[in-house]
Amino acid sequence: MNPRYYYITILSILITLTSCTKEVDFNQIDDVNVHAVYTSTLIYADFTADKFLDNNNNEITYSTDLIDAPIDKTTIKYLEKVEFTLIISNSFNRQFNFNFNFFDDAGQLIYTLQPTVVVAPNSEATTYILEIPTDDISVIENTRFFGFLVKLEPSSDGSTLDGTETANLNLKSSVKLFYNYRKI
Amino acid sequence: MRKIIYLFLFISLQSVAQNKQVLYDFNNLPQTLLLNPGAEVYNQFHIGFPLLSQISFQGGFTGFTTYDIFANNGVPINDKIREAINKYGKAEFLETNQQLEIINAGFRLNNNNYLSFGFYEEFNALAKIPRDLVDLFYEGNSVIGRHYSIKKMAARAELLSVLHVGLSKKINKKWQVGGRFKIYSSVFNANSKQNSGELYLENGTNNIYKQYIDNVNFLLQTSGVFFDNTDVITQSYIQKKLLFGGNLGVGIDVGFTYHPKKHWTITGSILDFGFINYKQNVESYSVKGSYEVEGIQLNFDPANPETYWQNLKDDFDNQVVLDTIYTKYSSLRPIKLNGSIAYSFGRPYYDDCHFSKELDTYTDKMGLQLFSTVGAVHSYLAATLFYEKRINKYLQTKITYTADPFSSTNIGLGISTHFKAFNMYLAADNLISLSNVYNAKSANIQLGINFIFNKKN
Repeated sequence: MNPRYYYITILSILITLTSCTKEVDFNQIDDVNVHAVYTSTLIYADFTADKFLDNNNNEITYSTDLIDAPIDKTTIKYLEKVEFTLIISNSFNRQFNFNFNFFDDAGQLIYTLQPTVVVAPNSEATTYILEIPTDDISVIENTRFFGFLVKLEPSSDGSTLDGTETANLNLKSSVKLFYNYRKI
Repeated sequence: MRKIIYLFLFISLQSVAQNKQVLYDFNNLPQTLLLNPGAEVYNQFHIGFPLLSQISFQGGFTGFTTYDIFANNGVPINDKIREAINKYGKAEFLETNQQLEIINAGFRLNNNNYLSFGFYEEFNALAKIPRDLVDLFYEGNSVIGRHYSIKKMAARAELLSVLHVGLSKKINKKWQVGGRFKIYSSVFNANSKQNSGELYLENGTNNIYKQYIDNVNFLLQTSGVFFDNTDVITQSYIQKKLLFGGNLGVGIDVGFTYHPKKHWTITGSILDFGFINYKQNVESYSVKGSYEVEGIQLNFDPANPETYWQNLKDDFDNQVVLDTIYTKYSSLRPIKLNGSIAYSFGRPYYDDCHFSKELDTYTDKMGLQLFSTVGAVHSYLAATLFYEKRINKYLQTKITYTADPFSSTNIGLGISTHFKAFNMYLAADNLISLSNVYNAKSANIQLGINFIFNKKN
């Protein structure tokens, strides 16, 4: 074999088998932060006067409801913040206070979203943002029941609700889950 | 016949892995018969070095490279990820293919036909990832009105063995045709194709938002992935499945070589036209349905407490049905199409390597190759310009330039050496990326050792 071709062959094989790399740093993976926000619809309700009256037309101060929602906890470690959006309109001539509570398996109250939502009398649709900050996020891991409490505040003039009243208190809500996928 | 050739070339242009563009029609290597059973081979007898006659690996991702994300260039990695996602197409695909020839041999029959046969193992996997799913993971679903579709989502993975026997027949000076019969034995298979459905969020009426899961139709078929208690994955289990104890199928390859004029050669082949019937350890999952929800309407009625969450879950399960299916299924193999047109020139090359003075035995050859794979999961097309040079009777080289979904600047190189009956070849592409392998979107390499006997060996 002609030595020239011999060297060409060897050189070609070396070119093919020998490769170079520019500098990469795979440790950068530790710095990855993927921030994703998932929005979900939540609860809604429409309160008429009868919701706050008993059979004798006496006012009921507290109206409550509860959702038993076993939470899938697999992604909670990536959860950074939870933000609740409430849009509430109130055509009653009365103030309402709204609380969103978290209960554990035993039914014990373990967390209340702050602040209490104060719905002014005769108010147009108003948006309220409540959040579970990062420091409190672990509370979700222990939550089994979500409780909702609407409190009818006394009127300033001593008047009471009437069963024939057409006013309503309308509540809409959604939730944003802020994830940060670290160490994927 | 010319119409058939044009039709074949047209089909190749319209469609699409496993492109072995450097090896295709290269130096009359026995392995070219696996890419075109109608390829011309001039030897009397060949046998591949057991387990080393062809080791092949191909892999690639059309989306971005390792260097795009992990380059040590001072740019924060999160910015690089953002940049890569901004460039992400409507759907990108990830593919890997590995083949190992266990046996490959052939010999010339008395009637001058060439009979070849062998047995090889193959693993291939392909995942097509739509941008919508990447955005859903990377950004979330908070863009109101944006529809996130799974329509372009598809995937397949398979480990199988192939026993094959083929015949290459010379009809006359112009025509050579061939066919190959294959028996497949699949160890495992998983595939998901032709999925549809959307997920989106819109402004609601009774609540702030209304969420939709619209016309979801998802099917994942698996065989040999999920096991009952009697099967355990061991080396002997895989060997048994590879040696025809797996899910069986059949297929054919057909191909031709045609010399319309003295210096011109046209070739074409259709590979893996066949199917596999999956009966063993079948477990498939189907999700079908639509669902829309504005949220949970609270009644605030302590006298009649409701199980809101359970009601919601039951309603969802009734409308979006998840089924586990244990019935057998069949799946077509992804069909591969090859075609080429070449012009031979230089000095006629007659040497001891060939007992026959064939039409295209010139020292130089250049031309165009097309490759396409057509499958239910994904199809694509690759075009290659090549120049092949027979340097002497010991050495032949081929240089290719390929444009495919991975790269439009893919330079490949093939080297085949003959020392008497000993043959060694190496074919690799993406040589430009060798300056920085982390920046390669794909890699493709085949190498092997054969013993090729001509009349004088």
